Amino acid sequence: MSVFFKRKDIQVTIVGISFLLVFIPYFFDIPVLGAFSVKLITIASLINAFTLALAVYALMRRALNTVRKKGRGWWWAVYMVACLFLMMLFGVIGETQAPWHWVMFAIINPLSSVNYTILAFYVSSACARAFRARSIHAFLLLATGFIVLLYQAPLTGAVFPGISPVALYFTDTFAMSFSRTTTMGLTVASIVLGVRMLLGREVQFLGFPREK
Amino acid sequence: MTSAREQGGGILKFLATIDRRIVYFVLFVLVVGPLISPIGMPISVAPDTVQYHNAIAQLGPDDVVLLHLGTEFSGWNELSAGAMASAKMVVEREAKLVIIVGHPEATGIPPLVYEGLKGVMEAKGYKYREDTLNLGYMFPNEPAVAAAAADFHGLVRTDYLGNSIEGTFLNKVKTAADWALIIDINTGIWNQALINHWRLPFGTKIVAHIIGVMVSGAKANVDAGLYEGSLGSLRGGAELEYMIKAPGPGLQAMDAFTLAHYSLLIFIVLGNIGYFGYTRPARVKERTAVK
Repeated sequence: MSVFFKRKDIQVTIVGISFLLVFIPYFFDIPVLGAFSVKLITIASLINAFTLALAVYALMRRALNTVRKKGRGWWWAVYMVACLFLMMLFGVIGETQAPWHWVMFAIINPLSSVNYTILAFYVSSACARAFRARSIHAFLLLATGFIVLLYQAPLTGAVFPGISPVALYFTDTFAMSFSRTTTMGLTVASIVLGVRMLLGREVQFLGFPREK
Repeated sequence: MTSAREQGGGILKFLATIDRRIVYFVLFVLVVGPLISPIGMPISVAPDTVQYHNAIAQLGPDDVVLLHLGTEFSGWNELSAGAMASAKMVVEREAKLVIIVGHPEATGIPPLVYEGLKGVMEAKGYKYREDTLNLGYMFPNEPAVAAAAADFHGLVRTDYLGNSIEGTFLNKVKTAADWALIIDINTGIWNQALINHWRLPFGTKIVAHIIGVMVSGAKANVDAGLYEGSLGSLRGGAELEYMIKAPGPGLQAMDAFTLAHYSLLIFIVLGNIGYFGYTRPARVKERTAVK
C-alpha cells in the first residue's frame, strides 16, 4: 500500500483532486462541496501545525550529531537544545504563568527588538559612507530618496507643508508602480508554478528529484 | 604616484572616510537624547492616517472587531503605538474586541494590549468574555486563516485560557462576513492570506497598520479597494495618537524619529561632499568605506 502512495502519478493526482475540492467552491455555490472544502482546509491547517514536531525532530538530530562529533561550535548546539526544552517546559507549565512571561519579556522581547533596531545603525552608516551620487542615475535615485526621507520626518510636513505633494507624487507614482509590478509578477509566477505542479512538471515539493 | 590631495585631504578626507563609530555615536545621541528630554516638535498628519482613522471611527456598539497581531516583538516596537490607539478607538466606540495572534512571539503581546487599555476598558465597563476575548495563536498557517474565514467555530473552540467560546458574543460570528472590521497589525504575516480568504470572498473590511517597508504595498491595496485604510510605521501610530488626542509612546518617539531622519540626510550630504571633494578628484583606489 505504501508503495502505491509513493508513486509520483498517484501523489500528483491527490494534489489535483485536493486542489479542485478547494478551488471549485470558490466560484460555484455547491453546499456539500463547500462544507467538505472547509473541513479539508481545517484538516490541512492541523496537519501543517503538527509539522512543528518534525522540525523539532530534525533540529534535535542535527544538534545531537554536532555534539557527538564535537563539531565547530558544538556548545551552541547544546545551548540551543537546552533553550528548546526549557521553552517547551515553560509552555507546558502554562502561557499565563511567570516562567513563560519571564522568557517572553526578559529574553525574547529585548533580543528580537535589538535585532531589528540595530538596522538603524547600519542604515545610517550606509548613508554616510555608501550613498554616493556616482552617476546621473545614482543622483536621481538619491535626490528622490532625499525628498521622501525629508517628508518622512514628522517635523518637515508641519513647518514646510509644500513638500507633501512632491513626496506623495514620488510614492504614489514610482514606488506604487514598482509595488504593483512586483505584486503582479509574483501573482503570475505563482499561477504558472501552480499549474506546473498540478500537471506534474514540478514535483520537488513532493520529494521527487527535478525532471530533466 | 599619489597626489597632494590624497596625502592630505583634511576635512574632505574625513567626510569621505568617516568612521562608522562616529556615525553610530551621533545616531545614538540623537535617539536617546530626545527620549530622555523630549523637545515636543510639531508633527503633520498624513492623508493615509485620516483615512485609516475614519474607517475605525465608523464602528458602532456591538460591532465585532478582530485585532490581528501578525507581528513579532521586533515589529511590535514599531507598531505598538498605532495598535494601541486603534484598539482604544474600538473600545471607545463600545465595539467588541477580539484578539488573534499570527506569530508565536506575539502570544506575549495581548497582555500588553489589555494592560494599555485598562483605563478605557474600565471606563466603558468592559468585561472579558462579554466584550472582549483573547483567542491566542490561532493563525499558525494560511489554511488556518482560510478555515477561520469559512467556518470560524470549526477552527476556534476555546480562548487563550482554554475556556469555551460558546455562549459569548462570538456566537453570532459564523463566517468572515460577520466581522465588522479587521485591524491587521502586520509585519508581513498572513496579511495577504487575510485579503485572499476574508476580504475577497466575504468582503470583510480590513485596515492595516504596517511597518515602514510595507507602506507602498499597503497603499496599492488601499487603491485597489482591498484595504479601507493603511497606517504606516511608528509615525502613523503617532499621528493616530494625535488625532484621537491620546498621546502615548508614538508621539513621545517623534522627536527622536525626526532627528534620526535628519541625521541620515545630513550623513548623505556630508558623505557626498567628501566624495566629490576628496574621493572622486583623487581617484582613490582603496575602499573609502574601510577605516
